[in-house]
Amino acid sequence: MDIILQTCVNALVASAFFALMAVGLVLIFGVMGIINFAHGELYMVGAYLVWYFYASQGWPFLAAVLAAFLIVTVIGLLMERTLFRPMRDNPLGGLINSIGLLFILQVLAVQVGGVGLMKNVPPAYRGSLDLLPGVSIGNQRLVALVIAAALLVCIWYFLTRTKVGWALRAVAQDRDAAALQGINIDRISMLAMGLGAGMAGVAGALIAPLTRVEPYMGHGVIITAFIVTIVGGIGSLSGAVLAAVLYAFFHTFVTTYWNGTVATMMGLLIMLVVLIVKPTGIMGTRVSE
Amino acid sequence: MGITRRDLLTATAGTAILGSSVIPRIGFGATKTVKIGFLAPLTGEVSAWGLPGLYGCEVLVKNINAAGGVKIGDDTYTLEIASFDDEYLPDKALQGFKKLVSEEDVKFVMMLGGDPWPGVQRFANQSKMLATTLLPSDLSPDTPYLLAPCEVHPIYNVTGVEYLARNFPDAKRAVICAQNDSLGIPSVATYEAAFEAAGIEVVDVNIFDPATTDFAPLVTSLLAKKPDIFCYDTAYADFVNLIAQQLHNQGYKGLQISCTCDNYPQIVEKTSKEFMEGFIFQFPDFDDPMLNEPFINFPEPNKFFADYNAAHPGTWTAVSWEYPSIVLQWIEAAKMAGSIEPMQVLEAMKGKPSWPHIFGEADWWGQDLWGINNALVGKWPVVVIRDGKAVIAEYGDIPAWWAKNKDVMIKRMRDRNQMWDQRA
Repeated sequence: MDIILQTCVNALVASAFFALMAVGLVLIFGVMGIINFAHGELYMVGAYLVWYFYASQGWPFLAAVLAAFLIVTVIGLLMERTLFRPMRDNPLGGLINSIGLLFILQVLAVQVGGVGLMKNVPPAYRGSLDLLPGVSIGNQRLVALVIAAALLVCIWYFLTRTKVGWALRAVAQDRDAAALQGINIDRISMLAMGLGAGMAGVAGALIAPLTRVEPYMGHGVIITAFIVTIVGGIGSLSGAVLAAVLYAFFHTFVTTYWNGTVATMMGLLIMLVVLIVKPTGIMGTRVSE
Repeated sequence: MGITRRDLLTATAGTAILGSSVIPRIGFGATKTVKIGFLAPLTGEVSAWGLPGLYGCEVLVKNINAAGGVKIGDDTYTLEIASFDDEYLPDKALQGFKKLVSEEDVKFVMMLGGDPWPGVQRFANQSKMLATTLLPSDLSPDTPYLLAPCEVHPIYNVTGVEYLARNFPDAKRAVICAQNDSLGIPSVATYEAAFEAAGIEVVDVNIFDPATTDFAPLVTSLLAKKPDIFCYDTAYADFVNLIAQQLHNQGYKGLQISCTCDNYPQIVEKTSKEFMEGFIFQFPDFDDPMLNEPFINFPEPNKFFADYNAAHPGTWTAVSWEYPSIVLQWIEAAKMAGSIEPMQVLEAMKGKPSWPHIFGEADWWGQDLWGINNALVGKWPVVVIRDGKAVIAEYGDIPAWWAKNKDVMIKRMRDRNQMWDQRA
């Protein structure tokens, strides 16, 4: 029983990070129609900023996370204005731009932080909390989980309970109709990009003390984020969250009871099956031309 | 009493390292330059076993050159390291090997080995270039010009297990985790053999994807087997770091053993001194007093450690001294051959059944495992963390272990398809 409960705890933490990444990706895709391949690198930038501000400059961890959120949000805003807006009618161009940015950010990380061993980011919250005999969660993981979950709740509240959130969802559903209602598409696109990027930045910032902080850390994450968004339904925020939880539990349990490589392979297989059987994903909707 | 090879090595390389402030610079004639190739991962996740080695060689070569270089035959040479980043990829390694041999005109090539070696092997043979690897699992009858003169990974891991079994006789259940690659798998076979020889049951082996970033599930899975011993195998430095954190968070209190524990002060900082107390691995810090034993063939290791850390603080890893020790061996062989030409140096090194390994006189060995006696095998240190600091606990005797447990090792290697005749 211990192992099942401990695996659930592990999966819960993974769920929160997968959801943060996937929701950001979905926001950007939903509003702008662009698949942001540089999303994993925004996550990497968030982790590097925590390494710099917290581990190198001695800032408090939470202040470093906040700084990472703000800076990566600004990077997102700049991306929207300079890379994606000129390509609004050319989704392929936007995708290519995002791939270019991916490489630029990786090279910048190499230039700034070098390569080799991972950047050392000590945990800000040491020790662990014993939930039950044989079941524990590291304090750093607990803090990361709470912040990630709180952020997701805030995003949900923002999107469902505020006028700007409604506007954002309206643009995601039908950009032209939203524009006819007087919604400023440029502003909403910037908001979506900034918010999506900021969430990736926060995910990277929170996980920095728990993973390998290195220039190529975004690779694996973006694959997971794509699996989650496709399974959840591209463009569906609630689908992304649900798929993140399901995928995290699935991957964690298969890793624990079988093997991590098998878990990843099976995850990709599930994505393929979903694409074949239900291309709209768990909660996506078919859009007629 | 005659002059031993250690005396000779220490007198040549050692005087160079001591520098001109201690020993007067010899009035050599016009000096030539000999280039030494360094082909290893300098970027990426395996770079911890490449880049610090390059740093170590640069520190060593700087000191040697500052003291006037080395006299080989009738000529005096300064040394130059020509490096290439193989990114731990076979095709990049081949590109680098060709560049080093054809364009840089190096006289031997030091490699980490492992995954990149198969890409290089054919060209290395064709060019008859002396090359060295830290991973003797690269050796086979088809590698006549490849030597493993320093590290005999993963065979020396048996010394750590032997020490553990002797000092903790109640520990009877071990789990092993390893990344799935040419470093991890032969090491798994070695640990399995060593545990079996010590009467310790391996209750689980988890071979994970090197792309793994979250080790919580892996640790949960292994701790469910209630082990007395957690074996990290030859996990990459970053993996050991992250897995140790997870073990600490999930409340593990048993014994730990690993091939390496690079940057262990970081792990101590992230976990605790108590958690890391007694952690067994195989690579000493070079400020260890036990490295001043008379049989050690590395001049002034403590000074080298200080010079290295002054030049490259915080980067010391298992390989920081290994590549430099190979440079010293090459110098010794070139002096003996009176030539820098690869085949003559190789002949000098292999011309005798034994050769001065860094941890004492060692034999050319390996026929049983790799089909060729091109690895130097002798003593190897067992390192233990005590009060947050790595110290050498003892020098283990690999040939003695082999004499008793050869069959077990060969069986385990064969079970994991790691014998040279199984590696197509």
